[in-house]
Amino acid sequence: MRHPVLGFVVMIAAASLLILPLSAHHEITAKFDPAKTTRLQGIVTYVDWANPHVHIFMNVGTGASMANWAVELESVIDLQKAKYTRDTVKPGDSLTVEGIAARDGSRQVWGNTVTLAGKRIFNVPEETVNRAPGGPTPRWPDGKPRLGPAPTTTGLAATGYWARPSMTILAENGTNIRANKNGLLANIADAPKVAPFQPWAKDLFELRQRNRLADDPQYLYCLPPGGPRQFQEAYGVQFVEDKDHQRIFVFVGGVDHNWRLIYLDGREQVGQIRGDADNPLYYGRAVAKWEGDALVVDTKGFNEKFWFSNGGLPHTDKLRLIERFTRVDANTLKYEVNIDDTGAYTRSWSSGWNLQWVAGEELPAFYCQDNRP
Amino acid sequence: MRHRALGSACILVLALGPLGFGQAAAQGPGGQGRGSQNAGQGLPAAPAAAGAQPAGARGAAPAAPAKPTPRRSDGKPMLGTTPGEPALWLPAGGGGERFVNADTADPSPDKMRISELPIQPWARALLDYRLENQLEPHTRCKPSGGPRQFLTPYGVEIVEVPDLKQIIIMDLGGPHTYRVIYMDGRPHPADLQPTYYGHSTGKWDGDTLVIDTVGFNEKFWIDRQGTPHTEKLHMTERLTRTDYNTIKYVVTIDDPGAYTKPWTSGFNFRWTANSELFEYVCQDNNYAPELMVGAQEFVDRTSKIVP
Repeated sequence: MRHPVLGFVVMIAAASLLILPLSAHHEITAKFDPAKTTRLQGIVTYVDWANPHVHIFMNVGTGASMANWAVELESVIDLQKAKYTRDTVKPGDSLTVEGIAARDGSRQVWGNTVTLAGKRIFNVPEETVNRAPGGPTPRWPDGKPRLGPAPTTTGLAATGYWARPSMTILAENGTNIRANKNGLLANIADAPKVAPFQPWAKDLFELRQRNRLADDPQYLYCLPPGGPRQFQEAYGVQFVEDKDHQRIFVFVGGVDHNWRLIYLDGREQVGQIRGDADNPLYYGRAVAKWEGDALVVDTKGFNEKFWFSNGGLPHTDKLRLIERFTRVDANTLKYEVNIDDTGAYTRSWSSGWNLQWVAGEELPAFYCQDNRP
Repeated sequence: MRHRALGSACILVLALGPLGFGQAAAQGPGGQGRGSQNAGQGLPAAPAAAGAQPAGARGAAPAAPAKPTPRRSDGKPMLGTTPGEPALWLPAGGGGERFVNADTADPSPDKMRISELPIQPWARALLDYRLENQLEPHTRCKPSGGPRQFLTPYGVEIVEVPDLKQIIIMDLGGPHTYRVIYMDGRPHPADLQPTYYGHSTGKWDGDTLVIDTVGFNEKFWIDRQGTPHTEKLHMTERLTRTDYNTIKYVVTIDDPGAYTKPWTSGFNFRWTANSELFEYVCQDNNYAPELMVGAQEFVDRTSKIVP
């Protein structure tokens, strides 16, 4: 019914000016209640300038009623990108904070607006994503697409990485599931449609969703984002193609700035030399080959201690992934994944999304473990 | 809880075998057994040459003379691996290797002893506290820069990526991360914020790779026993592959925040063939949330906010 050309134009317009929400790296509504709006005035006592989230402590009230509150803000990475530093506020400064309070009644608030001496600070602007296609796919001398940056002519090292996934939940192709950037469903009734779940897996997925992702191992324990999730992270991924050794490193910007190894040297998909024997891994064992312009990666041998997607889709150690990476133009990496896990799903199924090239920037070095004891 | 922790340590010790107890204790996150299999997964059998030796003989020269330094096509020494011959660099002295020796060690022209450090009094007091208490951030899964990066029992791989004009040092111990050294002649940024690995630039001085690093934070130890540093640290590392099996690693610590003058110390890396990168994730046994809320009082933390 829809006019095909007009429909296409509308889709491009919508896709090319997508406004992302604030970039808290995990689901803040797990801890804070958006209904509990709170305004505080206080004197700063301590600044905990650490990832994943900065905390500013301040004394609120006077005399016997004075209490110390924790104001939680965005990550160091995001605040520094917006040109704030650990010296932006100092102990003794007087702050006004508007935000939302913790669900558990503790003296913690997520700071939506922070004001120092009449001036708003710690304001992380919303990111505008332009999904316009780029120039031709850069290539190696052997003709294969480059998954990393092309060398510069300036003498400086080439930089750039992939981020801003066009889909932030792992949902089967053909579904139209709305979720926020952490994979929290807009409508919990959509849960059964996300994937061909076995009953227990659907129940577990719904439980994780109803808990607002509070049990996320990546958030609680800084555990690695194996599987498709590493391509849904807020701080992106970088490919380093080590042609000499026929292997590709995938560097993860967030979580704990991990590396994953993909071998193209024809090895069998078994334990590593002097390494893991048959123990299951967070990143699994990945072997790959090129099929035309697509890098096809076959990975198995996963453990079950992590969430392999935003939003908490379950998986088992039977999980096997076939991932296809196609750099369709300089700015666009097409990611396709087939999920075969007879432990959690009734059949194999597929999903995919696009990643956008972040030119000329270094992959952020975010360490979730930073503010742990 | 105690017993579980002890059990976990025992498994590590057994598995590490000739690599020694010290590293086992320092490698784990001090956890109590949850998911200990990953800690055990990467446990390499010792190399044939070292495996037959008692612990004290680690770092002894191999029986056969080492092959000469391998070189890249541009003539520079190869710090990475030859394709098809996977290997890792381990500290020559294994888990017993030190960046700064205890005063009970023999004097050496290549290595400082603690009492020889030109250390400021406050830093000496901090070092004494650390020597006594050993609450090292690395054991709680913090990335750890400086010489500490090379002092883990699993070693590192040095990956040279000429296409990117970078050398990348892949960590095996710790939180499964890596450090980048820029080889493109760039300066350090002016507005550097402190980080675990700092900002590293490298250049070749003859056959020696010279790495210049600033911008460290103070949240890690630069070596195993807790030799102090501050954000003023300017570190110069010199890596020379003197033969096939050895990198001589010499580090100058210039930190006016903790020392009265620059000083230099170092150790060797030992080529460990038939070994390659594997997945070790310190956080596998991460009890940080429990630690954060003060359940274990021996870990000091200013904010008890989860997470």
